[in-house]
Formats: sequence, C-alpha cells, structure tokens
Amino acid sequence: MARITLDRVSRVYGSGAVGVHEITLDVADGEFLILLGPSGCGKSTTLRMIAGLEEVTSGRILIDGRDVTGLRPRDRNLAVVFQSYALYPTMTVRANIGFGLKMRGMATDAIGARVEEAATLLGLSPYLDRKPAALSGGQRQRVALGRAIVREPEAFLLDEPLSNLDAQLRAEMRAELVRLHRSLGRTIIHVTHDQVEAMTMGDRICILRAGRIEQVGAPLQVYANPANMFVAQFLASPPMNFLPARLEPDEGLALDLAPGLRWPVPAAHDGWGRASNSSVALGLRPEDIHPHPAAGRVPFDVEAIAVEALGPETIVTGRIRAAPHLPALKVRLGRGPVPRLGETLVVHADLSAAHLFDPESGRVIPRLARGAVQ
Amino acid sequence: MSFAGMGGRRGRVTQAGLHLGLIVACLAVLMPIVWVTRVAVVPASMSYSPGLLPQVSSENFEALFAGRFPRSYLNSLIVAAGSVILAMPFAVTLGYAFARFGTAGRVGRFSVLATQMLPPVALVLPAFAILRSLHLTDSLFGLTLVYAALNLPFLTWIMMGFFRGIPVDLEWAAMTDGATAAQAFRIVVLPTALPGIAAAGVLGFILSWNEFLFALVLSGPRTATIPVALAGLQTSNGVQIGTVAAGVVLAVLPLIVASRFIQRFIVEGLTFGAVK
Ligand SMILES: Nc1ncnc2c1ncn2[C@@H]1O[C@H](COP(=O)(O)OP(=O)(O)O)[C@@H](O)[C@H]1O
Ligand SMILES: [Mg+2]
Repeated sequence: MARITLDRVSRVYGSGAVGVHEITLDVADGEFLILLGPSGCGKSTTLRMIAGLEEVTSGRILIDGRDVTGLRPRDRNLAVVFQSYALYPTMTVRANIGFGLKMRGMATDAIGARVEEAATLLGLSPYLDRKPAALSGGQRQRVALGRAIVREPEAFLLDEPLSNLDAQLRAEMRAELVRLHRSLGRTIIHVTHDQVEAMTMGDRICILRAGRIEQVGAPLQVYANPANMFVAQFLASPPMNFLPARLEPDEGLALDLAPGLRWPVPAAHDGWGRASNSSVALGLRPEDIHPHPAAGRVPFDVEAIAVEALGPETIVTGRIRAAPHLPALKVRLGRGPVPRLGETLVVHADLSAAHLFDPESGRVIPRLARGAVQ
Repeated sequence: MSFAGMGGRRGRVTQAGLHLGLIVACLAVLMPIVWVTRVAVVPASMSYSPGLLPQVSSENFEALFAGRFPRSYLNSLIVAAGSVILAMPFAVTLGYAFARFGTAGRVGRFSVLATQMLPPVALVLPAFAILRSLHLTDSLFGLTLVYAALNLPFLTWIMMGFFRGIPVDLEWAAMTDGATAAQAFRIVVLPTALPGIAAAGVLGFILSWNEFLFALVLSGPRTATIPVALAGLQTSNGVQIGTVAAGVVLAVLPLIVASRFIQRFIVEGLTFGAVK
C-alpha cells in the first residue's frame, strides 16, 4: 500500500534547464492519478524521480510518510512501465516477467508459478518462450505490464504505456488498465498526453505545463472548472474557443466583442461583476455553441471555413460574420445535415456555460465572488 | 525480363548499362584476388605464363609449409586473438562509461582517439624502446600488448557507439526490478551488447592480423607474423611469387570467415525487439 507524496520537488539539469519546478502533490493510497501535459512538460522526469531513476535537485519524495528521496530504485518497491516497454531483448517473455522476482531472490519454482499466473491474466501464456522481437506491439506492451504486476509492487508508474498502440488496441487497454487497477487496488500514476485517457481512466488528473502543476482535480471537475486557459484548452479536443472581449456593465453585464457585437451575460455571476470594465478572454467550448435556439442562448452567424464530418458529430470552424477579425470558432454539431464550406449558419452560444479568463495571466475569473455561498 | 516501373526499351538500356558498370567494378575488385589464387595453385615455373590454369599443383603450398610459415601463422593467430582478449574488457567498460555517463567529457573522449590519428611510424620507435627496456622485444606477448594498446582507442570508440544504441530504459527497468547498477550492466546490458562486442572483437582481430610495421620492428625470426613472413619471401634471389601467393591465400581465409560474421551482426542490429 502506498501513498506517494511529492514535497516541492524540483529537477534542474546541469545545463540550467528546468525539467520540473517545485511540484507538490499527494497521491492517495490506491488512487489512479493521471499526469497529463504536452510533450516536454516534465511528466517522465517526475515519474523517474518518484522511481529513483533521476536525481532530485531539491525537495522530498515520501512513500507512506517515509522519506525515500535518497533511496536506490531497487529499495522503493515501485514498478515502472516505460513508454518504450524496455523489454530485455536477450531474454524470453518468461525470463522478462520473472526478472524482478529473481532479482529479489525468490525460489525458481515460486517464480515459475507467479509468472504463469500473470501470463494467464494478460493472455500471454502461448508466448512465454518467445523473445520480445517475436511479439507484436500489443503483446510487448502486455509483457511490460506483466513484468510490473508480477512483483506485486506498492505502486505502478506508467509512462505513456498506450501511446505506441493502434487506436483499437489502445481503447481495449484503457479498459483493461482500469480493470487491473480495480482488482489490484494499488496506487497508479499514469502519464499521458492523451485527453481521452485523462478523462476516462483516473480518479484525478494532474495537469503539468513547463515543469509546473497547473491544476489537480477529478476529471469532470477540471473539465467543468478549468483554472486557467491552458487547462481549458488542453483538456479537450477540439479545445475551448477563446474570444477577446470587454466585460461591461449593462442591464446586468455584457460582453463587448466588437462594434455591433454585444452579448448579455446571465445575471447572478457576482464574481464576474467585479471584473467589469476590463478586458477578458471569453472561453466557450465547441459543445456549448449549439445549432438550435433555446432560452438564454445568443444567436450569431458564422461562415463555415472548415468542416470535419466525423459521423457521430461534425466539427465546423466558423468565422463570425459580424466580426471576421476575431479568431475563428470551433462548433460541435451533432449528427444531422453537414454544412458546406462557405455556407453561413446560425449558431447559438450558451453563455451560461461560458468561462472568463484574465487575458494577461490566463487565470480564470470565478463566477462567484470568493467567499460567496454557492 | 523487366522490372516493375522499368518496362520499355529505355528501361532495359538503363538496366544493361547499370549491370555493365557493376560488372566492371566487380572485376576491378576481384582481379587481384583471382590472380593471386591462380598464381598460388599453378607451379612456380608457370607463375608468369599465359593462360588461366595451365597446370594445377600444390608445390607452392608445400614450399610454404617447409619454411617458417606455419610458425608465423600460429604467431599471427596468437597475437591477433590475444590482443583482442586483452583489449576488449577495457574497451567494453570504457565504452560504456563514455556512452552512459559522458565520462571524461568531449575533449577527453576525443583525446582517446588521438593515438589513432598519429602516423604509426611516430609510435613504433617509442614502442620499441619501451618493449626493449621490458625485455619484451622478439616476444609474442610484447607484440600482443602493443596491438592491444594500439587497438584499444578504436575498439573503445566502437563499443561506445554500440552502447549508445542500447536504450537506457533497459537499465532503468532492471534497476526498478531490483537490480543494482552493476547487475543491470552485467545481466541486461552486456548480453544485449554481445553481438556488438563480437563484431568489435572481429574488427580488432583483423586489424592486428594485417598489421605490418610494428610486427616488422618488434618481432624476430621466431616471432614473425604472417605479413612479416611473407615480406621475408622477397629474397636476394628474387621474389618467390608463387610461395607469396600461396601465403596470401591462406592469410585471407580467416578474414573471409570474419567478415561474413561481422556482416550478420551489423545487419541484425543490436536491440531489435527491445523497444516497440
Ligand atoms: N538530461 C537532460 N538534460 C537536459 N534537459 C533535459 C534532460 N532530460 C529532460 N530534459 C528536459 O526536461 C524537460 C522535461 O522532459 P520530460 O520529463 O522527458 O518531458 P515529458 O515526459 O513530459 O515529455 C524537457 O524540456 C526536456 O528537454
Ligand atoms: Mg515523456
């Protein structure tokens, strides 16, 4: 059982490059935590520091309250699945999976039994005597998992384990990893840059950017309440739309987007009220711009400049007719008629689902004033 | 016969031209070998006579085996194999340190190669002086030591390349699996690098096998290697070309075996299957 705590952990490279900056994070025992972020944001570095494979420049790492910062990898009892899988090429699948047990001095018979058990669980039994070179990508991925599971470690650290699989296999393995987590009940830290994995697999997401934590929270909670523009943009595909606007007092409040383009903001957002008379970035998710009118939705015309018909939905990139200089918006339409390129369509923005951000800092402007009761 | 995308008259003309060029190139490469083989197997009196195979005889080989050649063949084997066995442990560990930990920095790593860049003549006299003070001239062990030293930088550099090709993830995996750094090297990295170690060893063997200058200066009649022994066949009563040719044919044999061996390992690569 393992609760993993990072206490202001930093990693600075010899060249002065900062890999990770003062990360503080508490992963509960048995939790499935997703580390999400773009390439180069420090996900692998963080994982390697937890595993003891990378020097920690400053800060502490604790497992169950015990400071392990200076411990060797072998003394931490964590299992790592590498993005490359890192299977031992000269050993058979059997020897690969059993390696960790052998290193810990387990008797050969016992190792054999445990390896068979793990192989059965992962459907690897027919391949036990093959070398990694003779396996498919999916099978290699399973061997890497088997090698981790068989040791019954305190926690699993998975570095983009699904990124080398094709789409269908990835979907299957997503479900399988979640199942494994249920049945093993061990802490998992799963690194990914894939929004679908982030939304569907974990208990919580920790979003990293340039070596710093941007936001931590349950997937739907982060989706509903992004702390800043980066998170809002990164945790969805297609990402949130941003429009520069001025927030002004009206009968209530209004967003002034362009001359002649003024959208009323639903009342009772007293947090926003405090930001009136200032420049804001209006964040609108593509799914909050609808083809049909409804109460509280603001209609406007867009010209379709790109149309992606995906089947279950159609993503239209539209330029606002009344203000063509504004950034084009992505609009998510359901199944239904697919607009032609250049066609003008009327869409309806649901401003009750809108987010406002400070365009300078990128931070969200809360709807409710701090301290107000929801 | 036509190749896909090469159909038509013009395609065929191009093909023919290409093959003609390749045949000429092959002939240029093979001619000396064919000629040496021919001279080796015809009687000495016919070495320069016209005709591909006027008569076949083992007389050149017999003359060769009557002299010091068998002894020098054995010397070459001992020295070439011995120098590799002596140098490889150093080359492997040094190459690993260079590849994984950047030991000695860029400058340090390059200065290792410096001896390789000097003309051998510049090194042969100091080597002679050192060996003489150690009473190791005219000694197979002395020559083995010198070859090991001469080949070490090159072998180290090759091993560094092979180790760079082995992902560090393998060692990390081994260490999280419970291995110490030394165990990870011994149990995981070394077996993975084995084909590379073998290939480097074979290269080192070939270099020592062919070396002439140091062997000439540092060996005596008893300890001569093949290149020196063959050179010794240029006597005051002319070059015994038939015997030399027979010696060359025998000297080339191990190299043919060796190059096939290297080819296999280099083509297969080192870590196929280790990563995706
Ligand atoms: N050995 C190193 N020396 C210098 N910078 C490094 C080194 N390793 C990683 N970095 C830098 O640290 C940052 C984080 O890297 P990494 O953790 O691998 O990112 P991620 O896994 O999120 O893609 C990157 O900007 C990378 O360039
Ligand atoms: Mg990474």
